[in-house]
Amino acid sequence: MRDISTSVPKTDHWEKTAGTAKYVADLAPEGALHALTFRSPIPHGEIRSLVLPDLPEGYASVDARDIPGKNGVHIIQDDMPVFAERTLRYVGEPILLLVGPDKTVLKRLLSAIRLETVPLEPVFDDRRADVWHHYVKGDPDQAFARAKRIIEYEYQTGLQEQAYLEPQGMIAIPEGDKMTLIGSIQCPYYVKNAVVPVLGCTSDKVRVIQPPVGGAFGGKEEFPSLIACQAAVAARKTKRPVRLIYERPEDIEVTTKRHPARIRLRAAIGEGNVVEAIASDIRLDGGAYLGLSNVVLSRSMIATTGAYTVPNVSCSGEVYVTNTVPTGAFRGFGAPQIFFAVEMFFQHLAKDLGEDPLAFKLRHLAKQGDLTATSGTFRDPILVPKMVKRALEMSDYQNKTRRYSGESPYRGLGLSLFFHGCGFTGSGEATIIKAEVQLRKNADDTVDVLIAAVDMGQGAKTTLAKIVAHTLDLPLDRVRFPYPDTDVVPDSGPTVASRTVMIVGGLLEKAAQKLKARWVSGVAVQLTERYQPPEWIKWDEKAFRGDAYPAYSWGVDVVEVSVDPRTYQVKIEGTWSVYDVGKGIDERILEGQADGGMTQGLAYGYMENMEIKQGVLRQRNLTDYIIPTACDCGPYAVEWVENPFVYGPMGAKGAGELTLIGAAPAVAAAIENAIGRRIRKIPATPESLLELIEYGKR
Amino acid sequence: MVEHRIPENLNEALKLLYHGDYQVMAGGTDLMVQRRSLSDTPLDFPKNMVYCAHLQELRGIRKEAHRVEIGAMTPLEDLLCHPDVPSLVRRAIGEMASPAIRHVATLGGNIANASPAGDTLPVLYLLDAWAELRSLAGSRMILIRDLITGPRALKIHPEEMLTKIGIPEMHFSHETFVKVGGRQADAISKVSLAAAADIVEGKVSDLRIAFGAVAPTVVRDETLEGAWEGATLSELKVGVWRLLDMYVPLIRPIDDQRSGKHYRHQVALNLLRDFIESLSEPTSEPGR
Ligand SMILES: Cc1cc2nc3c(=O)[nH]c(=O)nc-3n(C[C@H](O)[C@H](O)[C@H](O)COP(=O)(O)OP(=O)(O)OC[C@H]3O[C@@H](n4cnc5c(N)ncnc54)[C@H](O)[C@@H]3O)c2cc1C
Repeated sequence: MRDISTSVPKTDHWEKTAGTAKYVADLAPEGALHALTFRSPIPHGEIRSLVLPDLPEGYASVDARDIPGKNGVHIIQDDMPVFAERTLRYVGEPILLLVGPDKTVLKRLLSAIRLETVPLEPVFDDRRADVWHHYVKGDPDQAFARAKRIIEYEYQTGLQEQAYLEPQGMIAIPEGDKMTLIGSIQCPYYVKNAVVPVLGCTSDKVRVIQPPVGGAFGGKEEFPSLIACQAAVAARKTKRPVRLIYERPEDIEVTTKRHPARIRLRAAIGEGNVVEAIASDIRLDGGAYLGLSNVVLSRSMIATTGAYTVPNVSCSGEVYVTNTVPTGAFRGFGAPQIFFAVEMFFQHLAKDLGEDPLAFKLRHLAKQGDLTATSGTFRDPILVPKMVKRALEMSDYQNKTRRYSGESPYRGLGLSLFFHGCGFTGSGEATIIKAEVQLRKNADDTVDVLIAAVDMGQGAKTTLAKIVAHTLDLPLDRVRFPYPDTDVVPDSGPTVASRTVMIVGGLLEKAAQKLKARWVSGVAVQLTERYQPPEWIKWDEKAFRGDAYPAYSWGVDVVEVSVDPRTYQVKIEGTWSVYDVGKGIDERILEGQADGGMTQGLAYGYMENMEIKQGVLRQRNLTDYIIPTACDCGPYAVEWVENPFVYGPMGAKGAGELTLIGAAPAVAAAIENAIGRRIRKIPATPESLLELIEYGKR
Repeated sequence: MVEHRIPENLNEALKLLYHGDYQVMAGGTDLMVQRRSLSDTPLDFPKNMVYCAHLQELRGIRKEAHRVEIGAMTPLEDLLCHPDVPSLVRRAIGEMASPAIRHVATLGGNIANASPAGDTLPVLYLLDAWAELRSLAGSRMILIRDLITGPRALKIHPEEMLTKIGIPEMHFSHETFVKVGGRQADAISKVSLAAAADIVEGKVSDLRIAFGAVAPTVVRDETLEGAWEGATLSELKVGVWRLLDMYVPLIRPIDDQRSGKHYRHQVALNLLRDFIESLSEPTSEPGR
């Protein structure tokens, strides 16, 4: 049998390259109305009066009063209304929809709406904490009391926009008392579970269908639930299909982004320059509504000692609420922020202690059997030392660092060590998701994969079908993975958290094994497999204690940059990465994840800059919000080590987020070494480098 | 309703401009963005449009004695690879947009759009390039630096069209164009510098300096340049700080969503200093 890692053409390759794939914006059901959104012009205030223009025949407005059920979007915290009622909490908050047959007319009507507001004092800083957690490992107080030296720094990360190719879009189609939603989404059942309470109907009255999705990166995890609720209310009111399709500027202005973070780290240094304790304070900007910020915060907090073992930890975290666009899910989900901070902190500790950063990091690296920051256990082998060795060889690290060792050589290397916890945080898989998959063997001996996992470009359609085909020993074209439809497929959980191959794929592998045992040619059979947590996983949600994840993927990145001494522009000269994702299910798809994650992660570190001034986004389109082009990518070298995980399909762990996480700290460290100034804030834009060169700490 | 007209020749286009309220559409790479509207709805044009990109009379590159003439509708990509186009112009175009955009964007459009960040402008100012403006009543020539009066503001009459760009032949021992954008390609300039010098027998015989994106229009000051005429190379290099000081008051950039005032100012000066410091006595045949 072929090694499963051997690449195959993606099963949706043809429809996407030929342009025949129909995305949501390509769909126009008979009689569909367009919808445009009227939004808050102010960051904080109350509506005093709102006067609509006379609406022509066939046009309608839809607002909170039209909601048959509850005016709240079910995410995790259901604090975000479907439509604002009285209070406005951010610039761009939706107040109502105008729907009708002609977009030009809608646009004119929209500009004729007269809104009067009473402004309230907006909050843009971290004074309004809404979620707070704290946990302890060991005895940090004692460790700090005994410390030889205490070192403390603060780190900051900025907003980041997902910049998926396909903007958000949703179509709601009413048929009798049934509502069908078709949208660019990551999580069909999230959408369904959000729409049901808003329509105030029973669960069987809402159906969600996923068409091809043109990229998501977390941006289509929870945000689509909001527009699905709006479109459904509009379709219910008008009894017509309603298309709510965003274009780029609107998409950038009002959809969720990565949480900006302020992270304060304090280390107790003991004998032999050992980090005996870390105290951390992690603050995430949730924007106007919490949504799933709580879970993002958890992921940051759990990784507060990064890839290192620190015996004593005191970690506190909070999400604060501001009058800005809500932040939400984004590839990495809290990990990119904390790994930037911890990796830079370890580099800065080493420098302060007069040590070589790499040696310092390796001395503290977690080993199999060590306790995690939350006092769980790293059960599986950790191959990072071997991976580091390989990354150093590939990048010629030692020679180059020696060569670039002047005061400010304008050329430098940076290295980062990192992991990603695979699957939902804590006991989420067992208590919240409870995933279920089905395989249906047809009489013609083909097999249908019935799951709610979404292919958003990451290749899930191919990798999951491959796992089933491989287990059943069938050619790939005998296994079909149709686009999910909640009336047909069970809830296998959201397509998030690098869980799809490991958790959903793992369930499919088990189902396929059972199917194989019962296989009778020509006989149709359908079977279901449900998630069972490994019994050794123990997680105490309240105390933040225990095993936060069933498995960890690991990575090592080396990044080389040059900095133009005249313009402070950074050029990526090359990157070298070694990843442990257990076992690769398809090499080419993995390479796609590696190159994309690296590009998005590097840009997070030095290029992508998004600012909010008095609640108003300054970069509102892709002319001003700069993301990398192919010319900005250096040559990327990638290698994989195999380290099969017993519970993953064929040994696979998560891969999709891991590849983004180490890039920002590696590029920031490289820039730091190139200019001879400490970097504690990303993105490290040329403008900020100029400031550092003028005033920064060496 | 605005009208959209596709004339068969230049004369027809000029007639439309003369008798009606029309705006010229060249490659449309600025206009289509500026007049963007919701998808599947008509573009948001306030005026009638006359489409001219296809007019052969306005396309092409012709070498004349001591100058090259370029039709206003010539796509940038054609200029990029043409041996008769001055190397500085090609360098600027090589830094512009992306290949796809360069195949439709025109030189005339970059001038007539009159953006402070238009990338061919510093080079065209530096080379004393001129524009031919034509209407049914006749034609006139004007230096590009006199044509542009501010951001998106030109001394052009509504019935006139920019038909041709003329670039005098010049000789430099050293020249540079540096564009600073937010990324390596497809970015709007935060600041740019076009500079050229002819060093003959150790003396400055010609020094030209033009900055883009640091003021409402391109910054070029011939008096300042002239002050160094005849100076020796080492006088120029020793005097580089004095030279930079002279430009300080002229560089008046803004803070916006793409960059900051301080950065633009400092980088503009850095680029100029770097150019001056890179000057050396030419050894071989000067580059073109
Ligand atoms: C993705 C992208 C990237 C870009 N990158 C760059 C860049 O790096 N650097 C840069 O400088 N620009 C850039 N641009 C802007 C644009 O491509 C250039 O300014 C281009 O040269 C404009 O030419 P055009 O033919 O498309 O002009 P059009 O859009 O057709 O016209 C621009 C303006 O000039 C007027 N006009 C055009 N021709 C004439 C004429 N002959 N007579 C009178 N008026 C006329 C039009 O009425 C209009 O007001 C970019 C644009 C895009 C979309």
